[in-house]
Amino acid sequence: MRKTAIWWVYLMAIILLPAAALADKPVFNLEIREHLFSPSELRIPANTKIKLLVHNLDRTPEEFESYELNREKVILGGHKAVIFIGPLPPGDYPFFGEFNPKSAQGKIISE
Amino acid sequence: MLLTSVVIIIREVLEAALLISILLSMCRQLSVSQAWFKWGVLAGLLGSVLYGSQMGRISQMWDGVGQELSDATIQVLIYFCLLYSCRKLLFHLHSPHSKDTVLLWVMAAAIALAVIREGSEIYIYLSAFQQSSESRMGLYSGSAIGLGIGFSFCALFYYWLLSFSSRRAVLLGCGLLTLVAGGMVLQGCKMLTQADWLPDGQTWDSSSLLPEDSLPGQLLYAMMGYEASPSPAQVAIYAAAILLMLASLLLSYWRGARSQSALTSDTE
Repeated sequence: MRKTAIWWVYLMAIILLPAAALADKPVFNLEIREHLFSPSELRIPANTKIKLLVHNLDRTPEEFESYELNREKVILGGHKAVIFIGPLPPGDYPFFGEFNPKSAQGKIISE
Repeated sequence: MLLTSVVIIIREVLEAALLISILLSMCRQLSVSQAWFKWGVLAGLLGSVLYGSQMGRISQMWDGVGQELSDATIQVLIYFCLLYSCRKLLFHLHSPHSKDTVLLWVMAAAIALAVIREGSEIYIYLSAFQQSSESRMGLYSGSAIGLGIGFSFCALFYYWLLSFSSRRAVLLGCGLLTLVAGGMVLQGCKMLTQADWLPDGQTWDSSSLLPEDSLPGQLLYAMMGYEASPSPAQVAIYAAAILLMLASLLLSYWRGARSQSALTSDTE
């Protein structure tokens, strides 16, 4: 009986801990305006998972893409997208907008 | 605009077209009906418009990771469709000319899903940027060039696979589809990592050896979902998916060969 109770506590902990971890991820904002990322350099803490909010202020869609971060996400015009990033070792991680690769460029600096 | 369109369209078209050309050539080799193919593509095109036009709403679902979850679901479904199709096609190698409606449906579903995944992005891209008149010319000509290159590549691939004997072609096709299916799982895991459903990390980094944005990198990406710096969870699930498919196909091949030899010894 007591053993089962302990197992239940373990189970609940396993289920609830990630949810608790989800709550306190630092949030960073990125804007897309006129096919440019602003800020074009985003500094984030190293070895920490962050929640990146990308707000596309253009009327046209953009695809946030990064080979270094292994991320790709279509963000429609006027929409806001959530992208989880990290934990990253210190370094530079370039990203770009696949629909406007010449202008839409930036990098995340993990430090 | 021109070059960007070419690159985007090739990237999207190659993946779905490769899958279609491998399945089609295997059917041709085994004299399995190819009529299902056009329905799969048609359903895929309709699905692309529907999925693409609802992308805004889908993205907002599940705390803003709806796009990732629906993409990952599509990719995992393609994996299972390919697993089933390969098993059945191997079976056909040993006992040809049996009609198999379920197999045709599953292959059509695999194609429809692959087209939806790639087509929806093309739909979003084209429908948004065709509104500005100065970029329209580059957009359309770029897309036409991209489509042309993508399809020519896959037509070549289709005929190359037809040049083998049917046994070799089916075995090679199954091997290639195992890589394609594994790539789907790998990319699906990437989406789940992005949605924070799987832990992130870096198992290795082969970007200096083979960058993802190089031509061979892009081809490998289209073929088997190549990733230069995959996370440990991605690698583990990928390995499990490939092993499961290989084991299942070997078992199916072995069973088919045994039942065939039993059949021939009966008739003797």
